Amino acid sequence: MVNGYAPSGMREALDILSKTSAIPYAGGTDLMIQEVPADTNYLFLHRIRDLKCITVDAEYFICGACCTYTELLNSRHTPDLLKEAIARIAAPAIRNTATIGGNVANASPKADAALILMVTDTLVRIQSKNGVRIVPISDLYLGRGQIDLLPGELITEFWMPNNRAHLPHSYEKVGGRKALAISRVSFAGISDVSDGQITHFATAFGAVSDVIIRRPELDALLIGKSIEEAKVAKEEYLAKMDETLVPIQGRVSAAYRKAVCMNFLEDFLAKNGI
Amino acid sequence: MKNEIRFFLNEKEVVYTGSATARLLDVLRNEFELTGVKCGCKEGECGACCVLLNDQLVNSCMVAMGFVDGGIVVTIEGYRKTNQFRVLDKAFATTAAVQCGYCIPGMILAAESILSRNPHPTAETIREGISGNLCRCTGYNAIVKAIEIAANEGEGLW
Repeated sequence: MVNGYAPSGMREALDILSKTSAIPYAGGTDLMIQEVPADTNYLFLHRIRDLKCITVDAEYFICGACCTYTELLNSRHTPDLLKEAIARIAAPAIRNTATIGGNVANASPKADAALILMVTDTLVRIQSKNGVRIVPISDLYLGRGQIDLLPGELITEFWMPNNRAHLPHSYEKVGGRKALAISRVSFAGISDVSDGQITHFATAFGAVSDVIIRRPELDALLIGKSIEEAKVAKEEYLAKMDETLVPIQGRVSAAYRKAVCMNFLEDFLAKNGI
Repeated sequence: MKNEIRFFLNEKEVVYTGSATARLLDVLRNEFELTGVKCGCKEGECGACCVLLNDQLVNSCMVAMGFVDGGIVVTIEGYRKTNQFRVLDKAFATTAAVQCGYCIPGMILAAESILSRNPHPTAETIREGISGNLCRCTGYNAIVKAIEIAANEGEGLW
C-alpha cells in the first residue's frame, strides 16, 4: 500500500522495521492527532496475532502490545486494577482501537494504563530482528514523549507480576469531566499487609511531571514494618514524598497538583491503617 | 507490494489507492462522498465522525486507511437501510432527540453499538455508550430516552 506496510507476522514486521523508518501504528489514536510529513510510512500492526494475546502463566499476567482497551476490559484475565483504569480512559469508540502498547510508546506522563504498569513493576518485552530484551517499564521512560527504544525495536508484550497485579489497590483520577477526560492528576497504589506486617507497598503518580513518578526507594521506608512502626515512619515518608513530587505547571497549577497528590497518598495510607 | 487498499463499504467491496496514512474520515467524505459522516474535531473528542469498523464503533478521524484494509465499514448511509435504523429513527423523532442534527449520524451508530451488545441497556449503560458523542443541543436526556424506546420497540432486532 502507499505510505504503509501491513505485515501479517512478527518476522515480516521486524524485517520492515529494520530496513525502513516506518512508524509502528497500533491503534492510531495518539498517532492520528500528530502532524506528520507527507512521506511518512506507517507499519500497521493489527494483523499480527502475536501482539494480541491476553493470558496468565504461573508468574505473570501477559498481554500483547496491540491489545485494545476494549479487549482488555472484556478479558477475564485482566487484573481489576488495570480494568479500573481502562474503564475511565476516553470513551468506547476510542477504547475500541486504542492499545496498551500505544499508550506506553506514546510516553505521556498522563498515560493511564502505563500508570498501572508502573505501580505493578511490569516488565516490557521488546523485540527486534536481532533478538529480545526484557526491561522494567520504569527503565523505558527517558522523558516526556521519549522512550528507550533503539531503531528496529518494537514493544511486543507486557508481563505484570501476579504477586503485584492482584494486591489490594487504589486508583484515583482527576479529570475535567467524566468521559474523554485526560488526567490532571492520577494515582495508583498497591499494598500487601499480612498479619499486621507490610510486605509490599508501591505508589505511582501520573500527569504531574515529565514522566510517571514512581519512587520505590521511598515506598521501601514502609516495607517490612508493622502498621504501628509504619505510623511512626509516616511523617518521614510523607516529607520525602513531598520533596520528590515537584509537579509541572500546566492547565492546572503545580500547587493544586501537589496538594491532590499528597491527599491521594494520605488517603491510601489511611486505607491501609497507617 | 500491492498499492491498493480493499475493504467493504456499506456492503460493497471498494478499492482505495491513496495514502495509507490518510484519515478514514477524509476518504469517506471526499472520495466516496459519504457526507453523513460528519467532521467535527478531528481529534476523537466529539464522535460526529463515528462509523462501524468490523462491527465496532470507531472515530473515523482517528483511523488511518491502512488500518481499514480488509475490513468492513458501515456509515450512516449504509445503516439507514436496516430495520434497526427504522426503529431508532422513529424513536429519535418521538422524543425530539434531533435538533441541529450534526451529532446524530454518530449518535445513531453509537446506539447500534450499545444495542447490539446489550438489547436491554439501562440508562446508565446508554450514557456510557454515548459518552464519546457530544451533543450541544439536546442535553442528552431525549437521546437516552430514544434509545430506551428503540430497545423496547425493536424487540428481537438486537
